[in-house]
Amino acid sequence: MGTELLERRAVISGVGQSAIGRRIDRSGFQLTLDAILAAIADAGLTVDDIDGLAMFPGGGKSNLPGYSAANLYEIQDALRITTTWRQGLVEGMSLPFYGAVQAVATGLARHVVVYRTVKEGSAAKKAGGRPAYGSIHPEAEGPLAWLLPIGALSPVCQIAPYAARYLYEFGVTREQIAWIPVTQRKHAALNPDAVYRDPLTVEDYLGSRMISTPICLYDCDVPVDGSTALVISASETVPDLRAPVGLEAMAGVIDGRPSWEQWEDFTRVGYATAAGMWARTDLGPEDVDVAELYDGFTIEAIWWLEALGFCKAGEAGHFVDGGERITLGGQLPLNTWGGQLSGGRLHAAFGHTAEAVRQLRGEAGERQVADAEVAVVTSAGGFEAGAALLTRWR
Amino acid sequence: MDATIGIPPAVTEETQAFWNAASQGRLIVERCSACGRDNFPPRGMCRYCRSRSMVPTEITGRGRVYSLTVNYQRWLPELEVPYVIVLVEFDEHPGVRVVGRLRGCPPEAAAIGMAVEVGFEPGPGGYAIPSFYALNR
Ligand SMILES: [Zn+2]
Repeated sequence: MGTELLERRAVISGVGQSAIGRRIDRSGFQLTLDAILAAIADAGLTVDDIDGLAMFPGGGKSNLPGYSAANLYEIQDALRITTTWRQGLVEGMSLPFYGAVQAVATGLARHVVVYRTVKEGSAAKKAGGRPAYGSIHPEAEGPLAWLLPIGALSPVCQIAPYAARYLYEFGVTREQIAWIPVTQRKHAALNPDAVYRDPLTVEDYLGSRMISTPICLYDCDVPVDGSTALVISASETVPDLRAPVGLEAMAGVIDGRPSWEQWEDFTRVGYATAAGMWARTDLGPEDVDVAELYDGFTIEAIWWLEALGFCKAGEAGHFVDGGERITLGGQLPLNTWGGQLSGGRLHAAFGHTAEAVRQLRGEAGERQVADAEVAVVTSAGGFEAGAALLTRWR
Repeated sequence: MDATIGIPPAVTEETQAFWNAASQGRLIVERCSACGRDNFPPRGMCRYCRSRSMVPTEITGRGRVYSLTVNYQRWLPELEVPYVIVLVEFDEHPGVRVVGRLRGCPPEAAAIGMAVEVGFEPGPGGYAIPSFYALNR
């Protein structure tokens, strides 16, 4: 590999979460403070050690109700810290830690807190269901100007045609892909913080109502209230840290049209990002012990299974069928915390990253994957996507 | 026909011509004067040769459904469901894909690969929105 990769000069040092639930009767700001203080303590650091702050989304951007909470400057003010680096992003936040790793690896900061807070559970309750785009803005701007006027009023409507095309081209069935939500629900039963823990069957899945074909209720993640914070630290601070986790490789590549409806091939998503990640490591898919793959919708986890090379294009249906390969003790335990489908839509892979860290530290309780040394984490899907390999610290 | 419920577009310098033409029932995209290729959505620059010399061209031929979804969720009050959202491509305009609604067949009959005709229907905010018409077979 020659020169040392930037991500090898950073570690994930802390993970913290607020209460997570369909509705938590506290402000997003308080939930954020809960998560941040927990993450700093988890890292073995104190608030005064923090010199960088980042959040998703930046600029108070919010297309959907409850999507954004806790302004970065107000959080810094409450913490009374000095920061040498800050970032708030939508564009370019391929992974929760993508920018923070760059900051600590280049010496612009030593310990960066990154957070993501959602109040989408409360917003959904208020809207009488999952809220639509446009319930905040009276006009559809930018890329949404092509979607909202014709009735593509939710992210579901953006993703559903990808799922439709995928099923059409490969002959994969809904009976097969049902095993992703069903298996993840089984994992959620082992996670006391997951929002849905009751058993789910393939029959429940097939009998659930359609939201936007072929996406049914159980293909959609669960809007929740909650906050996740991570601490990203420079690797030279490892002696000060309680339980760091290593970063082997990360990538976030956009090689097609960055638009939901203009993306060229709806059946090939995430391939360039996956290839970019594998190019930065000697490890391969066979080395991965646990996979935390973004699952805003079931189809997104399918994209990643194929893009990352765990199976070939069109074979994810066969790969997940029956659930054995993707459950604890199987070839590739998938979304061991329940994923966003059962654990809650903590969004932008913050929940996925938190779980990968816990697995690699051996702190995942009943759902622990034995001897987990390498975890893959992916964020989103579609054009803005990221993938990373995390490793147990040696 | 009652206007379809939705959120109206914020019209920009780049998209004004599209929405104006839509109100006359015409589907226009940008054609590059330098290389002759069609571009959509309009950006005032050809994404193939980066020429800034773009002229409107009308799509009149048949399209083909690249993908679709039948939406059952009432996202907004009074939104009539179900309805079909189609992504349409055109053999004679490679690289162009337009999203719209689909009329002329029951939602369950909508299928990938089906041929459609260009059309519009009254949409939110007084705008006409793409609404393709299903052709038999
Ligand atoms: Zn050109």
